[in-house]
Amino acid sequence: MFSTSSQRKFWTFSDEGELAILREKHNLNYISKHGTHIDEFQRYNFFLSPDEERLLLKQYELHLKEFCKRFSPPMPKGVVGTAFHYFKRFYLYNSTMDYHPKEILATCVYLACKVEEFNVSIGQFVANIKGDRDKASDIILNNELLLMQQLNYHLTIHNPFRPVEGFLIDIKTRCSLANPERLRGGIDEFLEKVFLTDACLLYAPSQIALAAVLHAASKEQENLDSYVTDMLFRDAGQDKLAILIEAVRKIRSLVKMVESPAREKVRIIEKKLDRCRNQENNPDSEIYKRRMRELLDEDDLPHTGSSRMSLDTSGVSTVLSPSAS
Amino acid sequence: MDNDVANYTVIGRIGEGAHGLVFKAKHNPTGREVALKKILIKNLEDGIPVNVMREIKALQLLRCKYIIKLYDMFPRGMSLVLVLEYMCSGLWDMLHHSQQELTMPRVKTYAQMLLKGTRYMHAHYVMHRDLKPANLLINHEGILKIADLGLARLYWPDGGRPYSHQVATRWYRAPELLYGARFYTEKVDLWAVGCILAELITKQPLFAGESDIEQLAIVLQHLGTPNEDTWPGHAELPDFHKITFPESAPTPWPELLPGVEPDAVDLVKSLVMYDTNKRISAKEALLHQWFHNRPQPASLEDMPKPQMNKLK
Repeated sequence: MFSTSSQRKFWTFSDEGELAILREKHNLNYISKHGTHIDEFQRYNFFLSPDEERLLLKQYELHLKEFCKRFSPPMPKGVVGTAFHYFKRFYLYNSTMDYHPKEILATCVYLACKVEEFNVSIGQFVANIKGDRDKASDIILNNELLLMQQLNYHLTIHNPFRPVEGFLIDIKTRCSLANPERLRGGIDEFLEKVFLTDACLLYAPSQIALAAVLHAASKEQENLDSYVTDMLFRDAGQDKLAILIEAVRKIRSLVKMVESPAREKVRIIEKKLDRCRNQENNPDSEIYKRRMRELLDEDDLPHTGSSRMSLDTSGVSTVLSPSAS
Repeated sequence: MDNDVANYTVIGRIGEGAHGLVFKAKHNPTGREVALKKILIKNLEDGIPVNVMREIKALQLLRCKYIIKLYDMFPRGMSLVLVLEYMCSGLWDMLHHSQQELTMPRVKTYAQMLLKGTRYMHAHYVMHRDLKPANLLINHEGILKIADLGLARLYWPDGGRPYSHQVATRWYRAPELLYGARFYTEKVDLWAVGCILAELITKQPLFAGESDIEQLAIVLQHLGTPNEDTWPGHAELPDFHKITFPESAPTPWPELLPGVEPDAVDLVKSLVMYDTNKRISAKEALLHQWFHNRPQPASLEDMPKPQMNKLK
């Protein structure tokens, strides 16, 4: 249930201002941490600004959408939605200069596949990636734990797809609208775009779903206003209705404003990023390779008492009843 | 933040999970005893196992007295450490090392705890798929909790998605799974509950097959060759025609559970039933007459309290 979920409690924010503050904070943190050797004026030329980070992420959200669309085997919508949520959540608390979006993008989709029970092996997964696939699979697997941690282990995502089905069933049974199935094209198109906005960090999945349904209806020259006011919200009271109307209006306007970033601008930002990114997290750097080797060695839990706690599993074999499969 | 290994003092090793070791530890700030389940990721081909994801998702969703709690998680090198409620014993231990503790009033209470946990899971659309004595743990207060949700997954009541049939430990595996069903329901858990209940009463596994085929043979031999009446739709299951067993008539239940009172037999029978529509739900089972008959279920004070400091 969304109402009792971590998504509502920790990942639904009050307005766009709150999101902007979080993003700016991590941008500034990065700059103050890595920019001590650069004078103030030069810093702005060297590092990405919050706006540049936003633009870059918008571009990568488009990449994310394309990657999922072309994915083979075909990917269920829920996986795509979940991957988008993960990607957006990650960059609320991290700067693109710390973690390159192309690496996080792939990791988000991979984790979403697992969580949504769309079972593909890492081999199958990286077959969808151009370039060095072994390297890609190393990067994804190395980042998986980091991503989970940054998501605060809140893995379950409530997407708008199921509420959409609920509304369609409800409309079919309670509404006089002819052939509600014709709304599907408009709904799908709307939901594809909605993930390119911040709507899923601001509104409940059912609100987004209703915005999609109403949008699709108006495209079909139909009006479902009385369905909303007289059926859905008949007993809910005027204030609740007003909140919903405002949410739907806002979601639709976010979607209307979606546009692709200018290619030339993005190219410049990417170049800048190559220089200002954190080398510790750059898989091509020596410092990253060293850190990975250290992590591998760090796997023992600290121990107390006489027995050494090691990874050695010999000697521990509690025989239980036959295990699954 | 609690999520750092520095906050824990490891006291000892409890056992071995599917993906790594399980430690007993103390959470220093609170003094709380916990189990640290360490999942080694570095040798795993596909990264964090799907089973671990399922367990995390399920435990985050389920907050019930009769289901083990997941307190926290943190990375440790290339491993993920789950911080779980510490449970000092389990039904498996009880069945193998202290059978005399399992008196009828206590069995009734364990059965109620198990059914309440199951009812809660199913109310949240989670099926466990691997209920067995080894996954039912008991804490120092004597409360039974369902653990090991590595096979647990969300299901949808419309049953539109296929699931793997390679789930559930053989002895407790429902017959539809043994026949390779890909579309099954949460009722697989109730079959397992029925088997566990019979085992608690008789101190013997109900159907102890040594292989999957033998498992099926034993079930069929006891419940009788299924027909369209006892098990509608059984002939359409994927593996049904791969193997035939000799025709057999059902063994009367009093022979299957000798010396067991009729009400207990009736409850087991309603759970261990071919037809999943007739197999009763956890909610229904909790209302069964057996729980109201003498002897009454034991109160928590009368439940065995496993010792806190027992380590393997």
